[in-house]
Amino acid sequence: MRDADQFTTQNHTITRRDFFSDMRTGICGAALLHLLGDELRADSSSEVPNLLPRRTSRPAQAKSVIHLFMNGGPSQMDLFDPKPELDKHHGEAYFDKIAGEVENVKDAGALMRSPFKFAQRGECGMWVSDALPQIAKQVDDLTLIRSLYTTNITHEPALYLIQSNRMVSGYPTLGSWVTYGLGSESQNLPAYVVLDDPLGLPINGVENWHSGFLPPIYQGTRFRSTGSPVLNLRPESDDPPEIIRLQRDLLHRLDQMHKGRRPGQPNLEARIGTYELAARMQLSASEALDLSQETQPTQEQYGIGQPTTDSYGRRCLIARRLIERGVRFVQLFINAQIWDNHTGLATDMKAACDRTDLPIAGLLQDLKQRGLLDETLVIWGGEFGRLPIAQLSADKDERKSGRDHNKNAACCWFAGGGVKRGLTYGATDELGFTAVENRVSVPDWHATILHLLGLNHDELYVDQHGLREKLTGVQPAKVIRDILRSA
Amino acid sequence: MPISLAIDYHVGTTFRCLDSGFDWVVAVEQGGLPMRSIRLAGTTLVSTICWLGIAASCCNLAQSEENSAAEPKAVSFESDIQPLLKEKCGKCHGPNVQKSELALHTAAMIQKGGESGAVIIAGNSAESRLFEMVKQGEMPPDQQGTLTGAELELIRRWIDDGASFGKGSADPAREITQHDVVPILLLRCTICHGRHKQEGGLDLRNRESMIRGGKSGPAFVLGKPEESLMVKRIHAEEMPPHPRLTEVSVKPMDPEETKTLARWIELGAPIAQEEPDLAATANDPLVRPQDREFWSFQPPRASPIPQVAEAFRNQDSNRLHTPVDAFVAQKLFEKGLTFSNPAERLVLLRRVSFDLTGLPPTPSEAQEFLQDAAPDAYERVVDRLLASPRYGERWGRHWLDVAGYSDCEGRREQHLPRPFAWRYRDYVIRSLNVDKPYDRFLLEQIAGDELADYEHATTVTQELEDNLVATAFLRLAPDPTWANLTGFVPDRLEVTADSIDVLGSGIMGLTFKCARCHTHKFDPIPQRDYYRLVALFKGAYDEHDWLKPQLKNYGGALSAGMGERFLSQVTSAERQKWEEHQASIQRQLDALNAQPKTPELDKQIQSLESQKQPEPRIMALWDRGEPSPTYMYRRGNYATPGSLVSPGVPAVLSNPDKRFEIASPRPGATSTGRRLAFAHWLVDPEQPLTARVMVNRIWKYHFGQGIVHSLGNFGKMGDRPTHPELLDQLAIDFIRRGWSMKSLHRQLVVSTTYRQESLVSEKTKTIDSANWLLSRMPLQRLDAEELRDTILMVADELNDTCGGPAEPVRVRGDGLVLTGLRRSIYVEQLRKHPPSLLESFDLPAMNPNCLQRTDSLVPTQALHLWNDEAIRQLARQLADRALRDVERQKETAGAGSADTQQIEQVYRIVLGRVPDPNELTTCVESLAQLKAGWRNQPKAAGDASPNEATRRALATLCHTILNSAEFLYID
Repeated sequence: MRDADQFTTQNHTITRRDFFSDMRTGICGAALLHLLGDELRADSSSEVPNLLPRRTSRPAQAKSVIHLFMNGGPSQMDLFDPKPELDKHHGEAYFDKIAGEVENVKDAGALMRSPFKFAQRGECGMWVSDALPQIAKQVDDLTLIRSLYTTNITHEPALYLIQSNRMVSGYPTLGSWVTYGLGSESQNLPAYVVLDDPLGLPINGVENWHSGFLPPIYQGTRFRSTGSPVLNLRPESDDPPEIIRLQRDLLHRLDQMHKGRRPGQPNLEARIGTYELAARMQLSASEALDLSQETQPTQEQYGIGQPTTDSYGRRCLIARRLIERGVRFVQLFINAQIWDNHTGLATDMKAACDRTDLPIAGLLQDLKQRGLLDETLVIWGGEFGRLPIAQLSADKDERKSGRDHNKNAACCWFAGGGVKRGLTYGATDELGFTAVENRVSVPDWHATILHLLGLNHDELYVDQHGLREKLTGVQPAKVIRDILRSA
Repeated sequence: MPISLAIDYHVGTTFRCLDSGFDWVVAVEQGGLPMRSIRLAGTTLVSTICWLGIAASCCNLAQSEENSAAEPKAVSFESDIQPLLKEKCGKCHGPNVQKSELALHTAAMIQKGGESGAVIIAGNSAESRLFEMVKQGEMPPDQQGTLTGAELELIRRWIDDGASFGKGSADPAREITQHDVVPILLLRCTICHGRHKQEGGLDLRNRESMIRGGKSGPAFVLGKPEESLMVKRIHAEEMPPHPRLTEVSVKPMDPEETKTLARWIELGAPIAQEEPDLAATANDPLVRPQDREFWSFQPPRASPIPQVAEAFRNQDSNRLHTPVDAFVAQKLFEKGLTFSNPAERLVLLRRVSFDLTGLPPTPSEAQEFLQDAAPDAYERVVDRLLASPRYGERWGRHWLDVAGYSDCEGRREQHLPRPFAWRYRDYVIRSLNVDKPYDRFLLEQIAGDELADYEHATTVTQELEDNLVATAFLRLAPDPTWANLTGFVPDRLEVTADSIDVLGSGIMGLTFKCARCHTHKFDPIPQRDYYRLVALFKGAYDEHDWLKPQLKNYGGALSAGMGERFLSQVTSAERQKWEEHQASIQRQLDALNAQPKTPELDKQIQSLESQKQPEPRIMALWDRGEPSPTYMYRRGNYATPGSLVSPGVPAVLSNPDKRFEIASPRPGATSTGRRLAFAHWLVDPEQPLTARVMVNRIWKYHFGQGIVHSLGNFGKMGDRPTHPELLDQLAIDFIRRGWSMKSLHRQLVVSTTYRQESLVSEKTKTIDSANWLLSRMPLQRLDAEELRDTILMVADELNDTCGGPAEPVRVRGDGLVLTGLRRSIYVEQLRKHPPSLLESFDLPAMNPNCLQRTDSLVPTQALHLWNDEAIRQLARQLADRALRDVERQKETAGAGSADTQQIEQVYRIVLGRVPDPNELTTCVESLAQLKAGWRNQPKAAGDASPNEATRRALATLCHTILNSAEFLYID
């Protein structure tokens, strides 16, 4: 609320802070000013949103995030949540009990046991199926959550929900909120980098990393793992270096003359800054993506060079290189939705495992070896889970069966960045249909991630059209304290 | 003994006051002592004290619990609870004022609950909303009234002991009536047993038709649910039929719903005769007379034009051009400021050309204006620009932002195209170009279908078509309901809510959407009023009788008996042209088909077939009559319907003495007339917000910020006007001049205020740093469309064709989205594929619309302008154009080297002026070096001839100027 007369304060001065406080449209909300030390305000030359690193009100456990997003909805009872009862009741009808929860009713089959074998792994004894033999070796570094639930069984709204806690598009995603809250440690690279699959975009495309009503500077920037990493990072054909130098020089002189005639216009300086950052990015982005700087054993650790794992392995290794260089939030996607195993669970889901298992295990080991795991939060998970009943293939052949979407239970895990090691948290019912113990909602999951980064989900907001918009929305969300190493 | 209540406040818990104007948090640390308190965002609340209050109350509680264990004493409603509620809550929840529809003065009213349902659950204080609110200190909202620990305990005990109301007050619990049952049947059954389909001859929309039943007999036996056919079928899970649920976007019956239905039948299917809820009664318990006193709910008031003080007049009298200037000068004077100097003529020309047409002046327009010494030269330029068809394209774009225009539906992976949306875009441009009065413009967009009888019209005129096309305004919200899985009732309600949001924030300047789930926290908008609006739209947006967006190749109706969503009433002229075209193809086909078949002939036939055109149609919204009843949804949840509401307008904006009447638009019309009545109400000159909101929006696009900065929020949480009298005066003038937007533009751009320069002086920087007083004009970045259109224009590549289907975008393998050569407003607007250049310069995502664009500064902008091949190509074309121009003017050209002439011509084309001596020296020097550079690169230049080096060097210079700050910013 601001009265008209408020701008005529006694000393007739409006500070930069007032200016921020009165921006109402979300371009640069005042949300964080109370959290910020002098670092941000030292930047008094600029009144535009920026990526300078900010201090948090409480100590952060994790400095950066690698989000391994498993689009499609990985099947909990085939990966991390063994259900012996499914073996017992295999083949029994169950559809009528869950009719309202099934997407493809015509193909709904009976209860189906997992085609994979489970065993307890590591010192902690976490259950993992034989579909993920490599990750199974890293369980002592994981916190597994078996009781995540969401609220929609359709990909698009469920994806919007897991990314932005709204079932519609147009809201800032987790990565945008994090970079809005924390800025970046690197001024040569974008704060929020998305490594999508060269084979194609996930469902919802670029909306998965949109900044919504936050300024576009907090949007995820796509880095391609081959060729030029950022759109227009380089011209299609490079001009000769001498020409480039002359052109930069001319631009600089014209802009300086223009600025010199217009004192007191901070945007003009800031705009010159964007050209400088763009030039720095040309160098830094290419360097960060240059995997030839890595040793052969490191590359092999990530499965680079093997046809199945090469692509995802490259992205995992790039992710490590990016967080080493100060990028705040790296998000990895796989093409389309390889975890959406409506059919061919034993074959198609196994293929998804094979593409990602070794690279992810390699990433965890590598981060640990380099002492980076403690300050990096690695997140694995999809947008929902799957049903205990079979979804039959078109020819009703049970061997080709898969599972349909399930919003009532899903599994996900964290590693590093302040979470406990070797913990299994939450439980589903005996068939794995719904989370029953220590249920974790999507906003809880979001609140926990923010907490690990030193942010409070209730304090991180922008004023937007009369509403205080937060990632976790108006419903209360809770940090899952039981999984934190230091509560 | 641990304190029982303190368990709720375990370590790490934070309390916060949800959604209140201030926000406070107390972190609870080990031992239950407040170790620190964090104060947020300008609050003056002393949270620690507040917390101590709670802590103290916990202790009191423990005390009193121990006491009560020793000496139990029943709590009496009459002597303990009623007086307490009266004292603490009576001001807002009593007989006269009932915030959130809650009254606490009688037992019956307490039992009825508020807009979110029951507030007391007997025997369960933890689940009772009333107790929750007072316990957490959220109520009463003023801190002085906070209940003491003893008072809290009293309420807790009363509830936990069964919430007895004592003798005399115990009304029987409200019985189930049709209002509990109808919403269930609408949700689960009427899609197949309702208005459009009566499977098995059964219609379940009302009691009579249920008793009448279908082929298998009556739906129920009064008083005997177990013998009632419908209950039996539901229990057997035959109805609604599971395998068909998805197809009709229905969910199965909830067991609670079945119970409600059975109970209703058992009771004999009682019908409650409720008085219809009527809008605008004098004593509205939900909106108090003083709520109307807020500035924006009062009609605009005329104020005398300020007599600016003598000193100012002497200094600046010749500059007080218009009343606008007097209002602005007044405020400047009060702060010891005056207007900035007038902008240079060419600066002013560039500014006004961009503002009114989105394009810069051409070199010859600049030349003409410089040479025009007449006193009204500027005014004539303004008239020329307002008369240009480019005006509608520029201001149409602003309106499309408000409306949320897109060429596809959205919210699904495959974005369903809207093949006829362009007609709406063209309608907007056409309307603005002919200066259609704003009130008429709104009438058509909100209720065009009810303005004239289109169903029976024999000829469709352009005007009639426009009326229908205009209603697409209400069809622009992202709509995923064409797919079964995203076509359920809650998905449909999202679409309706988005449309109401666009209307509420974009046109009425109020954040109505908050009231979808609860009474607005800050503005006097009860939840009831939101649902009154919903009811107004129900003839067209009925979640129980929904028209799905039409799949492209679906000629006929979609699943579940849902009808067409396009109209075929294009103008008779267009239809005739199409029919003739089809007929002529058909004639040729008939002739060919009569001949013996050959491969050659088949080819010809195929080619002719492909020339057939799809039937021209219109994307529109229309009232289909017989809407289902509107129930408020408690907490916005469709599964918890509350009371029945009638169509009506927000109470705070209505004149209590003037009843809102809805009449059928024509005798015998299908249409209910609800939206037409609403539209007429909205454009009534007494309406306090309609004119103000639009005037403020137009002001913003000229002056960089609104008089009210929050364009979409004129409520309590919005900004106050910086110049309230001026805003009112403009609104009054706007209406008086027949809602003419062009005359408003004229009024604004001829003012001295608008003609100021944009330089910031030491004085204005100190006294008016954010330019709220308008002590200068702002330096403004070109927006996305201005930038792209101008680059095309200066390269002489802009295709200025008006109207018609959108120009498709191309998505390159790496994700770059490329466009053609038409103006940006005609480029296909796909939610997933915004053109890369426009996107990096803040083209908004329409979710559902955009009230205020951001002005970002990000490196992707630099990367695009600097590296993008299309921009580089346009720079080469710009250089070639400048070379051609110089060649052509050879005879007339004055002295100066060829380089100088080329540089000057580039400046004229791109920046509308010639370079100053410093710039010229820099450019001449640089051009010479660039030429030498290119000559030394024979390989890169491809052709080492001096001509080629000149071309390349000039292209590099042009590219630099397109990247320069002066090109991007308007003074």
